[in-house]
Amino acid sequence: MQRRILLALIAIVGIAQIALADSPSVTAVLSNSEATVGETVDLQIKVTGPGDARPPEEISIDGLEIHSTGTSRQFEIHNFSTSSSVTYNYTILPLRAGRFMIPPQTVTAGGKILRTPELALNVADVPGQQTKTRPGRSSQGAQSQSANTGDLVFAELVVPKKTAYVGEIVPVQIRMGFDARVHPRLTEPPDITGQGFTSQKLQQSSQNLETINGRPFEVVTFKTAIAAARAGKFEIGPVKAKAQVVVPRRRNAPRSRSPFDLFDLDDPFSDPFFSNPFAQFGERRDIQISSEPVALEVKPLPPNAPPSFSGAIGSFTMATDAKPKSVQVGDPITVTTAISGRGNFDRVNAPLLEDDRGWHKYPPSSKFKQDDEVGISGTKTFEMVVSPNENKQTLPVLAFSYFDPAKGQYVTLHSEPTAITVQGGAPAPAVAAQQPASSPATAARGHASVANSTKPQDILYQLTEPSRTVASFEPLYARRGFLLAQSLPLAALLVFAGWKVRRARLDDREARRIGALQHEAADLMHKLRRDDVSPREYYAEASRVVQLKAALASRNRTVDPNAVDAETAAETFKLDSDSRDRLRRLFEQNDEWQYSGTHNGPGEISPEKRRDVLELIEHLK
Amino acid sequence: MGGEDCSCLSVRGATFAWHSDSAPRFAQRSGYSVALFSAILCLFVAASAFAQAEFAKANENFAQGHFKEAIAGYEALVHESQWNANLFYNLGNAYFRTRDFGRAILNYERALALDNHHPEATANLQIARDEARALELQPSKLERYLQFASINQYTIAAAVAFWLGLFGIVAVIFARRRSPALISLSILCLLVGGMAIWAVHTLDNGSEGRGLAIVTGNDVQARLATADTANSVLALPPGSEIKILSTRGDWMYAALPNDLRGWIQTKNAEQVRL
Repeated sequence: MQRRILLALIAIVGIAQIALADSPSVTAVLSNSEATVGETVDLQIKVTGPGDARPPEEISIDGLEIHSTGTSRQFEIHNFSTSSSVTYNYTILPLRAGRFMIPPQTVTAGGKILRTPELALNVADVPGQQTKTRPGRSSQGAQSQSANTGDLVFAELVVPKKTAYVGEIVPVQIRMGFDARVHPRLTEPPDITGQGFTSQKLQQSSQNLETINGRPFEVVTFKTAIAAARAGKFEIGPVKAKAQVVVPRRRNAPRSRSPFDLFDLDDPFSDPFFSNPFAQFGERRDIQISSEPVALEVKPLPPNAPPSFSGAIGSFTMATDAKPKSVQVGDPITVTTAISGRGNFDRVNAPLLEDDRGWHKYPPSSKFKQDDEVGISGTKTFEMVVSPNENKQTLPVLAFSYFDPAKGQYVTLHSEPTAITVQGGAPAPAVAAQQPASSPATAARGHASVANSTKPQDILYQLTEPSRTVASFEPLYARRGFLLAQSLPLAALLVFAGWKVRRARLDDREARRIGALQHEAADLMHKLRRDDVSPREYYAEASRVVQLKAALASRNRTVDPNAVDAETAAETFKLDSDSRDRLRRLFEQNDEWQYSGTHNGPGEISPEKRRDVLELIEHLK
Repeated sequence: MGGEDCSCLSVRGATFAWHSDSAPRFAQRSGYSVALFSAILCLFVAASAFAQAEFAKANENFAQGHFKEAIAGYEALVHESQWNANLFYNLGNAYFRTRDFGRAILNYERALALDNHHPEATANLQIARDEARALELQPSKLERYLQFASINQYTIAAAVAFWLGLFGIVAVIFARRRSPALISLSILCLLVGGMAIWAVHTLDNGSEGRGLAIVTGNDVQARLATADTANSVLALPPGSEIKILSTRGDWMYAALPNDLRGWIQTKNAEQVRL
């Protein structure tokens, strides 16, 4: 309840304060009373007091371009007293030099007519060259287009320096502005025309909304870099581009005023299309945008460039590293050199070895890491493989030279001596050898290096006689003669194998014959031990056993058992006279039984006789 | 009976007549053979004499400082396949004098390929290599050990050991009593033969084998691919050794010094073995 009462009291007091407020008043101020041609100045007309206010209808002064940029309102409560104000903002663009008087403007507020004070603006002329083309009646950038589009777009070529050296990289900026209301579309990217220089690929770096002359512009910035190819005076540009913009349709009938066209400046956007896009359609139109050219003076590089200068221009630093630092003679060492800075990196080559004697170097590889959009600053890294041909304590010093355009002179950077350990090989000669160093592989192979001698060696004499025989590069194994020669041992092997086979067969036949004889002898011996054998058979078999044993025992295995008689058997077994007689009697008794058919003795053989014969036969060995 | 004799005689006569007819033919054939052999011998002698005269003339040109004429003379002999170590050595010297170190090294290498113990070629090869800063292929440790004998020596050793081993095996197969000593000896021979064959294969495919070639062009770059615009692998001074691994059109893929591999145009290198 108390809170409601408090709010009601505040409202009553507020209304009373407004009712008791002062009568309306008006002030006008310039942000700067001194300006130069092309430099904008802000004008503010502030109406304080209650009631509605109407701004001045137009402010038109010859030599000044004045546009309304908007209206702002303020409402303040201070110690229970309230105040309100309306501020009308204008931008003044001086078109020429001189002293301008802004006359009092009539403002209606709270039913009263108020007048602003008279203001003075001193405009000075601009010294130097104008490189920018801004929208306006005096715009040059798009003059080839209709007067309408001339106010809608602009192009600027920003070259930071007016002098450069041949080959020096000069960064260039291209700014293209489009009135935000034309819905621009770039159909052809900007191109820097001109001769005598090379330009790098254009990179779009930013797109911002800027207020220029009180009008919002979409400003697209492109960056690139140019390098002059020869000395002389050049004109860089103009920059040309093509775009499509939306502009109001042309009408023959006079159009109504738009809120934008406050100053009757023939602003194309005074067309009602822009205040109400749906009232009628605009048309898309192709326009060409171009900037003013910029002069550039190009100076030649001074003579007497150092030997390690490869055309690099700019400002650089060098850092070097090597791995490994402990090697054998002939082993590779990778030397990494990083050259950082700003300049024409496409002409930055690998640093040179100041003294490469005793070293073998291989072509370096390189890679570039750029730090900006156009590649004029960054780090170029080189990797070079070197290998010592002899004992060394330090890596050779690397030298890199460039031209510093700021100093106007050549600068040579040297690497710090890097300590290394090289093992194996001969120590480095104290006196510089005239002969070039041998290759690492040669050193590794262990040949005596001729390079270490102080005097170049000459080749040996010509040989007056050719070799006796014509030689062949074909290896022996591939020659026909060698292959044919292999037929000799092959034939010998075949003969040898054949002979061995024949021997084996012969041996086999003899073995089979011996086996048969042994088998027969065993059978007969078995029969002789039986009692049922007749005397005729007994003696015949006994004699046959003796013949078989004699044939088997004879040195010459080819003896026919049938041809063996008692004497031969006795000789074969070297029998004594007693055994010889017993053997002879055995053969005689056999003959008697075989040829006479009878026997002088008994019809049967006594056991003693059998035992005697068996004993005789069994002892034949 | 008399008729039979007569016929018999006539038969015998005919037989005799045949023999008497073939004798002159045989003599005629022998005459042709001798004539052919003599003609071949004469041609051989004439060719040899011509080659010697050419060699002497080229030497004379060299002595007078007419190195290009000397090179032409030596090259003519090379084209006639009159190959010998001294010819290639002298040709290498002539190229050296014209400062064509690549071809000088190539011909010294050829002289050494024909005669492994050619002291003059060895000495001049080293000088030429140092002049040209030529790179050499580094043989493996195994290859270095095997190089105490040549491929041909290993080939002979392999053949002898192989046949001995084979004879031993045959003897063992047919022997009534298999002697352990004979078996061991046979196996040892076969092992030696196998090792010799392996040594031949290793050397023939090694850094100084049949794939060995010498860079004869100037400013030769071994590249990563078969295109002049491909990245460079290694710069090869003239006289550098490479080992051809394969060929593709005008390019060859080769093993390079420092254990690298790359493509080189065939026109920039020549094989040592002709």
